[in-house]
Amino acid sequence: MSVKINTTINGQAVSASAEASTSLLEFLRDTLEMKGSKLCCNTGECGACTVIYNGKPINSCVTMAADANGAQITTIEGLADGDKLHPVQQAFIDTGAVQCGYCTPGYIMSVKALLDRTKKPTQADIEEAVSGNICRCTGYNKIVDAIHLAAAKL
Amino acid sequence: MEYFEPKSIGDALSLLSKHGAEAKVIAGGTDVMVDIKFKEEPGALVNIKKIPSLAGITERGGSLRIGALTTIRDIETSALVREKLPVLWDACRQFASLQVRNTATIGGNICRASPSGESLTPLLVLEANAILAFSDGERSEPFKTFFQGPGKSAAGAKGLLTEVDIPIPPAGSKGVYLKHAVRGAMDIAMVGVAVMLTPDAGKNNAQDVRIGLGAVGPTPLRAPKTEALLKGKALTAALIKEAGALAATEASPITDQRSSAENRRWIVEALTRRGLEQTWKAATGKEVA
Repeated sequence: MSVKINTTINGQAVSASAEASTSLLEFLRDTLEMKGSKLCCNTGECGACTVIYNGKPINSCVTMAADANGAQITTIEGLADGDKLHPVQQAFIDTGAVQCGYCTPGYIMSVKALLDRTKKPTQADIEEAVSGNICRCTGYNKIVDAIHLAAAKL
Repeated sequence: MEYFEPKSIGDALSLLSKHGAEAKVIAGGTDVMVDIKFKEEPGALVNIKKIPSLAGITERGGSLRIGALTTIRDIETSALVREKLPVLWDACRQFASLQVRNTATIGGNICRASPSGESLTPLLVLEANAILAFSDGERSEPFKTFFQGPGKSAAGAKGLLTEVDIPIPPAGSKGVYLKHAVRGAMDIAMVGVAVMLTPDAGKNNAQDVRIGLGAVGPTPLRAPKTEALLKGKALTAALIKEAGALAATEASPITDQRSSAENRRWIVEALTRRGLEQTWKAATGKEVA
């Protein structure tokens, strides 16, 4: 059964239809052709699909597309201002926090949400904020360095 | 798959009556969406998130009422819950990732009725009640009888959990939730143990002790023999040791991919001891003698 979805993604009104069983991630990637949010575990365990939903980081793979109706959603595509990267994106580059890069969009969305809710995160805040994001290349220390750098710049 | 977004409890109940076992209720979706992708689609999906006033935490007549659609994150960050129901707060902060806690609801965690569900042993030791709506009226069901087996509850196919009613424990009562898992909060618990201890007026004895055991039986369990052993006594190292061993005999674990049954009993013993030590110290200000 098809559901009509009227939502706001990265500040732009979007209207499209999707099957009721569609996840928000599939809606973003397959219906809207926004491939920045990554499909990985597809069970809400790895965080590669993280987007910001009404101000909160969530796993888009286990969220119904239908629940995007009336919501404000921010994806990795919404962070840069033209060619100018968002400070969190730039911090990941500057500290070398990117290895294969597949987990990076999810991390950056978790960090963006963290820095939206607290300007000066503690080490514990940081660890909680990214505890739902897995980096299989295991470059965790540099990711934490990037978060400290982004917090200092914002 | 048919899809519905009822706007009232009455509309949701009509849909559940009409579609019976074919219908699946969805709230946050962190479990149900995984089933839809990897198991099977239900005949009818009933999304209850458009029903107003099913979310929120309120204090009413000596109880906290938590709406079924309240997210785990909202419970974890509630100052009221942290102060009045520390055992539930402790479980919610060890509940999967921030992303999942932002989406998953307490109603979903309860109705999933998984023996390892993080919020379930705290609700058992708090002696909370499920407020269930049926087409012929509402009833309050203690969690002691609500959980009937893995995935089975007193809500059945036609009932809807609307709220959780949690009596606030006496002032001075302390609670902890201890979880054993390989990847911390992210993993499903091998064992979860909830302990609540209320001291007597002089803080010399444990007036009341309640112990909940998770992931070691077909439903979350209480440990009544262990509780009876401790009631009215001052906790000593010897008594706590005896209590841990007794709690292990009250569990009825299985062997699965996460742990052997034998290992689970050892963990029940260790976590029970640890929970008793921690709550005794927090409630009386004394180390275990």
